[in-house]
Amino acid sequence: MRKLRIASLSFAAFAIGTAPAHAGDLDLRVVDAAGRPVSDAVVTVRPAGGIPAGPIRFPWGTTMVQENIAFQPHVLIVPVGATVRFPNHDKVRHHIYSFSRPAKFEIKLFGKDETRSYTFKTAGAVALGCNIHDQMSGFIKVVDTPFAAKTGANGQVRIPGLAAGTAQVTVWHPMMKSKDNEQLVLVPVPGSGPVVRTATVTLRAGS
Amino acid sequence: MLAGLKRRWRRQLLRLSSGLTVKMTMLYGAMFVAVMGVSLFATRNAIEHYAQGVIRQEMTVGSALFDRMTMLQFRQLEQAGTVLASDFGFRAAVGTGDAPTVASALDSLKQRFGIDNALFIGVDGSVAGDIGELTTTESSQLFDALDEGRNHGIARWGSHNHMVAASPVRAPMLLGWVVFAKNMGTADLQQLARLSTIDLHPRLMPLSELPVALQTAQNDRVMTREWDRGTERMLAQARPVENLIRSAPQMLVLEYSLTHAMAAYSPILTALLAFGVIGTLLAIWGAYVMSRNLARPIVALEIAARKVSSGEHAEVRVETRDEIGQLARSFNRMVNAVEERERQIAHMAFHDGLTGLANRALLREQIALSLQRNDAFVLFCLDLDNFKSVNDTLGHPTGDALLCEVALRLAETCPTGFVARLGGDEFAIIVTDGVGAADQTGRAIVNALSRPFQVNGHRIVAGTSVGIALAPQDGEDATSLLKNADLALYRAKHDGKGSHRFFESAMDAEAQARRAMEVDLHDALRNGELTLHFQPLFGLSQNRVTAFEALLRWNHPTRGMVSPIDFIPLAEETGLIIPIGEWVIHEACRVAVTWPDDIRIAVNVSPVQFRSATLNAIVMQGLARSGLAPQRLELEITESLFIDNVEATLASLHSLRSLGVRVALDDFGTGYSSLSYLRSFPFDKLKIDRSFIVDLLAHDGATAIIRAITTLADALGIETTAEGVENSDQLDILRAEGCGQIQGYLFSKPIPAGDVAGLLQRLDGERKAA
Repeated sequence: MRKLRIASLSFAAFAIGTAPAHAGDLDLRVVDAAGRPVSDAVVTVRPAGGIPAGPIRFPWGTTMVQENIAFQPHVLIVPVGATVRFPNHDKVRHHIYSFSRPAKFEIKLFGKDETRSYTFKTAGAVALGCNIHDQMSGFIKVVDTPFAAKTGANGQVRIPGLAAGTAQVTVWHPMMKSKDNEQLVLVPVPGSGPVVRTATVTLRAGS
Repeated sequence: MLAGLKRRWRRQLLRLSSGLTVKMTMLYGAMFVAVMGVSLFATRNAIEHYAQGVIRQEMTVGSALFDRMTMLQFRQLEQAGTVLASDFGFRAAVGTGDAPTVASALDSLKQRFGIDNALFIGVDGSVAGDIGELTTTESSQLFDALDEGRNHGIARWGSHNHMVAASPVRAPMLLGWVVFAKNMGTADLQQLARLSTIDLHPRLMPLSELPVALQTAQNDRVMTREWDRGTERMLAQARPVENLIRSAPQMLVLEYSLTHAMAAYSPILTALLAFGVIGTLLAIWGAYVMSRNLARPIVALEIAARKVSSGEHAEVRVETRDEIGQLARSFNRMVNAVEERERQIAHMAFHDGLTGLANRALLREQIALSLQRNDAFVLFCLDLDNFKSVNDTLGHPTGDALLCEVALRLAETCPTGFVARLGGDEFAIIVTDGVGAADQTGRAIVNALSRPFQVNGHRIVAGTSVGIALAPQDGEDATSLLKNADLALYRAKHDGKGSHRFFESAMDAEAQARRAMEVDLHDALRNGELTLHFQPLFGLSQNRVTAFEALLRWNHPTRGMVSPIDFIPLAEETGLIIPIGEWVIHEACRVAVTWPDDIRIAVNVSPVQFRSATLNAIVMQGLARSGLAPQRLELEITESLFIDNVEATLASLHSLRSLGVRVALDDFGTGYSSLSYLRSFPFDKLKIDRSFIVDLLAHDGATAIIRAITTLADALGIETTAEGVENSDQLDILRAEGCGQIQGYLFSKPIPAGDVAGLLQRLDGERKAA
């Protein structure tokens, strides 16, 4: 099980970089209503055989930096139970808060080079804001599946190592105009060969 | 009074309807009405256009006000909403789904800002707070509008319009919207109405509920329409407002009564109309007065012209100095000139140009008039006894001057009489008073004209004869009266000039007989009733017939032989003597040429014939046609020719003599006492008048006269012939006294031409026998 997870991780890492696809790979392209590629969309998959047991780890870590009056990265995928660190690289202070149901917390007024952390125990999307700087926003997607990744600037994402059968693919985006900002797509995964799909989402205008 | 007015009015109408006046009045009236109509119409249109412009302007201003007012409200609501939406506690409450806190916060703010509705709509469509009367549909419409990004506008909830403004709540992601709404009561719109200068009745209405006239309006453009509401003309405008709910748009409807707007200007239009009516009446009145003033003189001229053409005198009053006045003046001048000329013509027609006396026509008229009045009057007709010789010797100017003097003297003599000149030297006078004194008047006239006249340095004794006719017994009409007076005049002249005679009916009969004879004499020549008889002249020394005297005979078909004594004077008076004399000369020559060459033919020439210019030609023709030697023709003239005009007579005699014919003086010793003419013209023969021959046996002195004549003739180398020798005693004396030839019954009476040859033969035989 563990081996599998590693394999899948490595697949995932690989998927971002190179092109060759294998059986069980899902190549998903997310576009908006106008056909433009949508970046920072989080794709999570619940394969046909369910989620394999064992701890989930992602190669991008669990740190969200405040730098230049912004959260970096803007969208961070973390597994359930992960403790995320919030180092402040700015000279000004920040007051991080979240009213999101999976994790309601407040990290009040910490200064430069101070690091605070919070442990996310429930899966879901957590919107982070700064009470001082209204324009700052960041998102932490707490997932309970290893099959998760976010789209790049080209709207492309690859989820490798999916079992054959119908997979529940969920596309989430902070601006998505739908309940909980997400959209569920059922994708049949064949025994051999990759699956290439395009998901069209509707985004809220403006922020 | 009323009837009089009516009549006057009708007369006025009649005059009005006469041509020029009506035409001009109608024309000017119509022109003014047209101008007024057009200007009224244009003014009304301009006013309406202006009023509409003002209303539209007001509507634009009003709607701008409305937009501004609502925008202010939206901003206020938004500001209030933003205060709440940015509150961390509120955001926390929203973010954590703390509905009671949210609701209480909304309620608190609602109270603070005096907002009618305050609610929160989550980005998931959930609604919190004061939902009020908001239905599900309305709330979902509201969510859709917010979801589409609109954050303020007008929305109709229930039966009320609301000004709605929304402020987004972010944490930091959009959680939803704080929505504040204010009920737009009628008060807000009334405030708008108060702000505009005219009440535009602003209303907000759903697009679907607009009035009929505006139903084609669209929610993105302004639409303006006119429509009739009952009797009112309305201008209505629908404009879009800032709508929150696009699917149920509200429109701002403004309307204003054009009728009402125009009513404000109605005094102007009424005043204009009044001015127009007054102006039109004035113009018509002015045109009427002007055209009547123009037409009146023309009508007067026309009436005057008609009067003049029917012979009346008419002038028109000259009232103005313009062309019409000049026309009137010229017309009057023309009328006077025509009348003056008529007077002259009438005067010329009835008066004598020379003396200025009435002429024959006027005299006849005067006579007819007097006869008609049954007046008794006397008509004198007269002519001058010696006028012809005056004219011939002293010339016509003197003759004319004499006639004028005569006219004056007649007028003096008969101051109450009516004097007329009938022509030439003939005059007539009518005297109505003193009929009993006609004889005296006649004598007075004769006496008056027998007094010598001094004319052009000449002393002239005119002398006159007067014929008198009494009216009415001497004639029923002018013609017969004049004729009878003329007959009396003729008698007066005939009985010796310088006297007066009354008309007697016998004169008329005599005149008629003369007239009948005149007619017969005219035919006699043509019908061959005239013949020549010849009486021989016996030469005592030659002892033979030396000549025959041609004597005219008229064998009238009913009267038998007519005496030359009866018809020759008639022929002389009527001028018939000219053709008769011509015939005599031709006939005498024709007969004489058959006789022996030593026998002459003697022909009597009447004074009338002698004075005619054709005598020479006739003589020449007679000689030429018959071939008679001129010296065989002897023309016998009388001494009376020397009484009138010696010079002319001598000239004619010489002219005749130049033809080669002989000239004898007939009836010598009876007519004229002067013997000087014997010296002036070498007569070929003297014919001693028969009266001397008859006396030969009765008086002793008669022989002496015969002797004196024959001695005188011998001395002058002139032959002598004794006429009317009837017995041998006379012949003896004549032979003893040296008379050359004898003529008379002793020897032979006049014989027809056919007997001449026999007579000559017999005499020749007798002579040879002796």
